[in-house]
Amino acid sequence: MTRKGEAMTRSASVRIEGAVKRHGKTTVLHGIDLEVHPGEFFALLGPSGSGKTTTLRLLAGLETLDGGRVFLDGVDVSHAEPGERDVAMVFQSYALYPHMTVRENIAFPLKMIGEPADRIAAAVIEAAERVGIGHLLERRPGQLSGGQQQRCALARAIVRKPRLFLLDEPLSNLDAKLRLETRAELRRLQRSLGVTAVYVTHDQEEAMTIADRIAIFMDGRLAQVGTPHAIFDRPASAQVAAFIGTPPMNLLKAVLHGNSLEIGTDRLACEGLIVPGAGAAGPSERVSEPERTAQAVLAGIRPGDLEPCEQGGLVAEVEFVEDFGDSAIINLMIAGTRARMRSARRELPAEGTRLRVRPKPESVHLFAESDGQRIEL
Amino acid sequence: MSSTRLTRPGAALRRLLMFCAAAVLVLVWAFPVFWGFLTSFKTERDVLAWPPVLFFTPTLDNYRAVMQGNSSILPNLWSSFVVTSLATLITMLFAVPAAYAMARLRMRLKRTTGFYVLATQMLPPVGLIIPYYIVLQKIGGLDTYSGITAIYLSFSLPFAIWLMITYFEDVPFEMEEAALLDRAGRMRTLWYVILPQVRGGIAVTTIFVFLNAWNEFLFAVVLGGNTVRPVTVAMYNFISVEQTQWALLSAAAMLAMAPVIVIGLAAQRHIVKGLTVGAVKGGGRR
Repeated sequence: MTRKGEAMTRSASVRIEGAVKRHGKTTVLHGIDLEVHPGEFFALLGPSGSGKTTTLRLLAGLETLDGGRVFLDGVDVSHAEPGERDVAMVFQSYALYPHMTVRENIAFPLKMIGEPADRIAAAVIEAAERVGIGHLLERRPGQLSGGQQQRCALARAIVRKPRLFLLDEPLSNLDAKLRLETRAELRRLQRSLGVTAVYVTHDQEEAMTIADRIAIFMDGRLAQVGTPHAIFDRPASAQVAAFIGTPPMNLLKAVLHGNSLEIGTDRLACEGLIVPGAGAAGPSERVSEPERTAQAVLAGIRPGDLEPCEQGGLVAEVEFVEDFGDSAIINLMIAGTRARMRSARRELPAEGTRLRVRPKPESVHLFAESDGQRIEL
Repeated sequence: MSSTRLTRPGAALRRLLMFCAAAVLVLVWAFPVFWGFLTSFKTERDVLAWPPVLFFTPTLDNYRAVMQGNSSILPNLWSSFVVTSLATLITMLFAVPAAYAMARLRMRLKRTTGFYVLATQMLPPVGLIIPYYIVLQKIGGLDTYSGITAIYLSFSLPFAIWLMITYFEDVPFEMEEAALLDRAGRMRTLWYVILPQVRGGIAVTTIFVFLNAWNEFLFAVVLGGNTVRPVTVAMYNFISVEQTQWALLSAAAMLAMAPVIVIGLAAQRHIVKGLTVGAVKGGGRR
């Protein structure tokens, strides 16, 4: 995918082994193991305070490790200074130098490594053109819009062709429309440069659409690593399931009785209902037949996998309806738990009515209620 | 919307009251200056006239006397200038890196160091005069430029450090980190990225330090002498037991105030910003 004429693409491999980070008495990272392949667009996804930004800063060398090691291209850089790592970073706030023009901002990294002036001038123009701010070179950051500032930060990061590109929620300060556009552009840019990119976001939709692979952080631990599809199709735990998808998966309290699933007062036959177990997708546990007597579980059903039915299924009460025109989200109460159902139907149920819904075949995910881990039958 | 309309008359009244209060303050502050300005153009006889005269024949004799005569204060202005410039220059040379270190570097004993820097400001200056006198006497520093400058540093440095810290703290961490990732290293990050952003703070601090030293009287009168006699001390000579030469004193005072007023007017905008820095964020630090 490297563009023609691109001089030698540089893309690093990243390996993190047992990374531990403590801030005072609180442990922010509890031993993270992670591998990023060269040229990959890798997203670190998780709620705020889950350790994803800390992990990124460890890669940059802006945080010191309290345990474990970091390798770039197989070389241990755990104790290398930020400047020695040959990585570039785009900060959430962009961190542009306000007293310099766009040209000077982009030129700064090259100036610091002592490139000759004519080479700098050419490289600055190339980088600026690439992100579409070639006409703004004489402006100062304060005179730019948010989107333009973001591009300037990108140009400053790509200008010296780093081997690793770190992005810390780079889109979070843009308005919704611009965010969608820039997301696609960012992806194109990374592809054309062929550079390895590690991207921090708390927006699961962003991660799902932009990344080759995603690492999901929960409370300073890795909850799951995999391709967006793998994570969506087979979330490793109830927490991951509740975090992924728009809207996320419904989790209903249930009891697994041998071959049937009891949700509230309704019973569903497991046969053909449960997502078939296959492949290793993150930590999972298999439940043997004898154990299956009356196990408390969480039944995970995506909003799109619920459908109304005439009889059987589950009793649900309509709380309210969010109508998007082409589709709608129907907010339900099923056995005392809030759940959502995506509906394309034109005639939507009125609020307060009762109806019956059932999961589509092979769409129910099971998680142990005790620890939230995925259960494969 | 309706609430803003409701408060509008109230806001106007408040503005009027604020204006009146400001006017009173300006009057109180400006009157002595204005009166001194008038007095500097009066003859000694007009000065002592009762009731005071507002209209008189102005004379430049007083200025001539304090600039050319026996009681010329020009050497004293020079003396002030030397001590003040030296103190300001050295203060800023040390205060800027010190403040940066205090604001940014992770180092041991930072809190303790910060406290001791501040503690030097807590002592009343009068309490320090005798120790300072004895120390300077022992090392031969009385009535020397180096001695007096050193003493001035003892109060200008902590002040400048604490003021500069608030400016450094306002520079976002990420900007510094970006520069570090761009391989600028500590020193070049400071030079290219941090210092340009605290330029205003450096200007304000320099002015404050300069003004404080320029206006200093207590240490100068005790620790100075015939060699180092700043203008503040020289002016005091116009006041004696028998009489006070008000006209000469006023003319000298006007000359001594001139640089202060010029600097003040030129840097007005910066100074106001300097006084309110930290008002929003980290205001308790200073």
